[in-house]
Amino acid sequence: MKFRSRWLGVASASALVAASLVTGAMGAQASTPSTGPALTYQPSHAGGTVKLLASSAGGTLDPQVNYTLQYWQLYQATYDGLVSFRKVSGKASFDIVPDLAVALPKVTNGGKTYTFVLRKGIKFSNGQTVTVKDVQASFQRLFKVANPNAGSWYAGIVGASACLAKPATCTLTGGVVVNPSKNIVTINLTAPDAEFLDQLAVPFGSILPASTPGHDMGTTPIPGTGAYMFKSDNPNTKLVMVRNPYFKVWNAAAQPQGYPKEIDEIFSNTVESEVTMVENGQANWMFDPIPSDRLAELSNKYASQLHVNTLTSTWYIAMNVNIAPFNNLLAREAVNYAFDKNAAVKLYGGTKLASPTCQILPPGFPGYQPFCAFQKGTGSTYSGPDLAKAKALVKKSGTAGMSVGVVAQTDTVDLALGQYLQSVLNSIGYKATLKPLSPNIQFNYIQNTNNKVQISETQWYQDYPAASDFLKILLSCSQFHPGSDNSINISGFCNKSLDAQMNQAETLMLTNPTKGNALWAQIDKQIMTKYAPWVPEFNPKLIDFISKGTGNYQFSKQFYMLVDQLWVK
Amino acid sequence: MLGFIIRRLISAILVMFSISVLVFLIFFATPGVDPAARIAGRSASPAIIAQVRHAFGLDRPLPIRWALMMDHLFIKQDLSSYVNIGSRVVPQITQAAPVTLSLVAGAAVIWMVIGVTGGVIAAANRGKFIDPVIMFIGIAAVSVPAYWLGEVVNLITQGGLHHSIFAWVPPSGYVPITQSPGQWALHLIMPWLTLAALYAGIYARVLRAELVNALNEDYVRTARAKGLSERRILIRHALRCSLIPIVSLFGLDFGALIGGAALLTEVVFGLPGVGLLTYTSLQNLDLPVIMGAVMYGAFFVVLANAVVDIAYAFLDPRVRIA
Amino acid sequence: MIALGVLILILLSVIVAPFYAHDIAHTNPFTSNLNGTTVISGRTVPVLQPNTQGLGLGVTPIGPTWDFRHYFLGADNQGRDVFARLLYGGRNSLFIGTVSAIICCGVAAVLGMLAGYFGGVIDWVLSRIFDIVWAFPVYLLAISLSVVLLTSGLNLGPVHVGPGSLWLPIVIIAAVYVPYVARPVRGLTMSLREREFIQAAIGSGASDWRILTKEVLPNTLPSVIVFFPLMVAFNMLTESALSFLSIGVQPPAASWGTIINDGLGLLYTRPWVALAPGIMIVITAVSLNILGDGVRDAFDPKAKLRGAV
Repeated sequence: MKFRSRWLGVASASALVAASLVTGAMGAQASTPSTGPALTYQPSHAGGTVKLLASSAGGTLDPQVNYTLQYWQLYQATYDGLVSFRKVSGKASFDIVPDLAVALPKVTNGGKTYTFVLRKGIKFSNGQTVTVKDVQASFQRLFKVANPNAGSWYAGIVGASACLAKPATCTLTGGVVVNPSKNIVTINLTAPDAEFLDQLAVPFGSILPASTPGHDMGTTPIPGTGAYMFKSDNPNTKLVMVRNPYFKVWNAAAQPQGYPKEIDEIFSNTVESEVTMVENGQANWMFDPIPSDRLAELSNKYASQLHVNTLTSTWYIAMNVNIAPFNNLLAREAVNYAFDKNAAVKLYGGTKLASPTCQILPPGFPGYQPFCAFQKGTGSTYSGPDLAKAKALVKKSGTAGMSVGVVAQTDTVDLALGQYLQSVLNSIGYKATLKPLSPNIQFNYIQNTNNKVQISETQWYQDYPAASDFLKILLSCSQFHPGSDNSINISGFCNKSLDAQMNQAETLMLTNPTKGNALWAQIDKQIMTKYAPWVPEFNPKLIDFISKGTGNYQFSKQFYMLVDQLWVK
Repeated sequence: MLGFIIRRLISAILVMFSISVLVFLIFFATPGVDPAARIAGRSASPAIIAQVRHAFGLDRPLPIRWALMMDHLFIKQDLSSYVNIGSRVVPQITQAAPVTLSLVAGAAVIWMVIGVTGGVIAAANRGKFIDPVIMFIGIAAVSVPAYWLGEVVNLITQGGLHHSIFAWVPPSGYVPITQSPGQWALHLIMPWLTLAALYAGIYARVLRAELVNALNEDYVRTARAKGLSERRILIRHALRCSLIPIVSLFGLDFGALIGGAALLTEVVFGLPGVGLLTYTSLQNLDLPVIMGAVMYGAFFVVLANAVVDIAYAFLDPRVRIA
Repeated sequence: MIALGVLILILLSVIVAPFYAHDIAHTNPFTSNLNGTTVISGRTVPVLQPNTQGLGLGVTPIGPTWDFRHYFLGADNQGRDVFARLLYGGRNSLFIGTVSAIICCGVAAVLGMLAGYFGGVIDWVLSRIFDIVWAFPVYLLAISLSVVLLTSGLNLGPVHVGPGSLWLPIVIIAAVYVPYVARPVRGLTMSLREREFIQAAIGSGASDWRILTKEVLPNTLPSVIVFFPLMVAFNMLTESALSFLSIGVQPPAASWGTIINDGLGLLYTRPWVALAPGIMIVITAVSLNILGDGVRDAFDPKAKLRGAV
């Protein structure tokens, strides 16, 4: 359910990590099909300090609270869950592999009971041994620290409702059961959940020492089990990661050995100077997106240091289906016809950086079946807008002449898209005004029905690869909370029969994923062609710019560039 | 005299109090900014938000929340950010302050030197060609938007010419003086010049006007009658008197700049000072940091005002009644 | 005199903005033109040009053609004609500068005279308000107010100002600078009040209203008028700074500050987008300041004024 916007970051990853883009040790991936690939360690490259640049810090350092990819990208090297996403480049990075658990769990009781055997002898960076008690405490802590998804992802654990009501005394009795003598952790769910392992593999599922206080630790580092540990965090200057002295590789696919001696994320530079510093080799990588007027310069002079990866993300326009004029289907169709997705692609940086889309699910995602309604042509790919048809639809809908407020973010690309949308709305007969809001505010502002937002620019990045992470999260009735800042169904779209189909698809995913994804594809198509609550704009790509001499660029589709795999020696 | 100082301090405290209330109200009146929802994360359920709201005391009445915030800011000094949770506001400000001080102090030296020299030269040569030229440069310097000048400087030093004559200009940013005094000065030289341009223009103009007035005063005529050289009169007599208003002006400007008025220069050059801190916290609507930064800034402005007023009262007893 | 000439020239050029856009450049500077084309030396070229070198990343708007018939200064990232926007932007910048200076000087004159004339509680309250506005760093106050007002607009009883309205920056800027003018007016009124002719008027039983309008106002007005050109320049600079922080004039409307802001994203590739409006601001502000000096010399040769900060 994560939203990451570009000014802070990025979120998730590619379908097409072309081998040609990956510099270093792609060939070193031992692709043994039985166990799956893992990175092979090359000790000669160990050492040195990797300097990462970011214009601002990413908030609290607590892995059970922070929901930004900026830090999720660092947690992959500092914390482990019972399971993890495979730390490799390419499509295999969506695989789930055992991490602190010896093997993937045994699932019994009709998909409601997960049994894990904890690895023995793993130590936290403070020297303590990881025990099943730590696992139990970590799950309780999710509720104590008010994890953003405690009420959704983890609400299905037995005992969770009591924890949500009274977090301080959370025990998850019957939900997380441990057997210290056999080193076994058993998790019981109230209903089967096809995505439960995904939800354990993200950083929220990190196992922390049982002694960790039950509140957000903010900038105080919490010991972890990864190859690195946080040494210090100052949100105005820098975040420092050093090697975890107690780390020994147990499963290189889950937590590989890292190369640098130290990893620093340095804050408070302007994005322009970040580009200059990476160009000059004063830093190895910049987190922030490259400003558009430096793109041409970089792509011409520094092509070998740029890595372009497709993101599983959709940028879209959300129309509020509950208030005028977009409570009228014809009006929504009109905007879909009028908005030129190719123009939007230009504003993002051109066809090499984004591809226009007509649907909710991004390409390469489970359940993705290409289609394209509301356009000039008839094919399944976008050909262009149909302004005449749009104007006719507005007329027919009787909404012509209405005032429409467009809410966009103030950062360059989003503001440009907002200005373009405003111009489009004016050209088809509305009186549009633009309300630019700071990126930090806009996302919550457009969700709250009290703000009466009619139409807004926004985007969604996957949490983990499952169709429900787009369709159910963004467009089901259960995600629409009138009057709340956290109502992620921004369009306010609620259709009972589609909801029933989504539930059916989720159930199917447990038994027959192929059929389940086929149903998700149908849902995707139905929502757009029948109800058009969105104008999907494009699927963006991500550019990583690394300095000359920085080697072994590995791009995980889940966590993006693997910072601990970079070579500076 | 003591009475005057006490009255002055009381009104200073009153002003600080009002500003704190004002900032507080402005931000709680902003729609769509529920701190609890932001702390809780991107898709927290209503129950989680309620829990956060309670934990942070955001469900209490406004006056109590104000008092709590003041308590955390001034007495406990453990007020922490809503965005970078756990990051204390007071250390953030104390870390940013040296950056701003470096920027403002360096710029102040430059603008005082240029401003005073320019003003004196213009006054000494009034009626001649050089006077209107200096005054025109002064007006031009006053008329340039500081942020734009900064961007133009960036364009020149970091753009096309960066690989030739401006190769020595480092990318924007800040290096502490304790780490490397050379790099510190090198990183600050362009921001210094940019910030100083505006004030040098003002000071040259004000000083010239003061000098021209002073040169018409009786004591100058007396000095002239004594046969002192024109240069000696200008430097020894007229300048000495004319510097008093300049120094008080300097007090006010310096106070305001230390307090964050150099915001635009810091933003343009990416200097992590109080101005940039305020700017980013405003963008994030991070109320505790805004409150801390604004109170800090207001403190310096109020302090500078009070010091200048009290100093004036010493020099000129008539002011005390007012 | 040259200054006045330059100002009139600038005024004229912004007045002809619609004519220029419509009849010479044939462009609408307020609509996006992302797929537009224009003809340069016989060849049709896109206004937004995709990069064709290297990895082919990025899209760059067309640069200056130095041809008044189209894209004299090039295009911005929405493909709009920068020169046409510059002319329209000048209208808003000058309008905001002037109107906010009128409001500011008017309000300041009234409040300053009231505080100086009545003294006592009225003076104390007003002076403390001035202190507060003064001590609240200018940009902070402006930014805080803008953040609130831009999201919700301004609702004061029957008066409703929409969030995109020009009146928001005008009101904010005017309010912020009231103490700058009100304080000297207050001082002047206080000293006037001690003067014989006012004392005489008070003694003769004239009403406060009459004394304020017939005796005090004519004597304070010259100082306020002296401030006026400086405040216009001052307010115009502030407006541009607010627009630069994207809290001033809202798109698609333009002011010189918003065009600078649009141009920052193109600073290294298309510097003219940001340079041209800045140069216009400097020329206008210089002319206003020189004019202000002239007005001061004419009205009040001994006045010591602080220049525009």
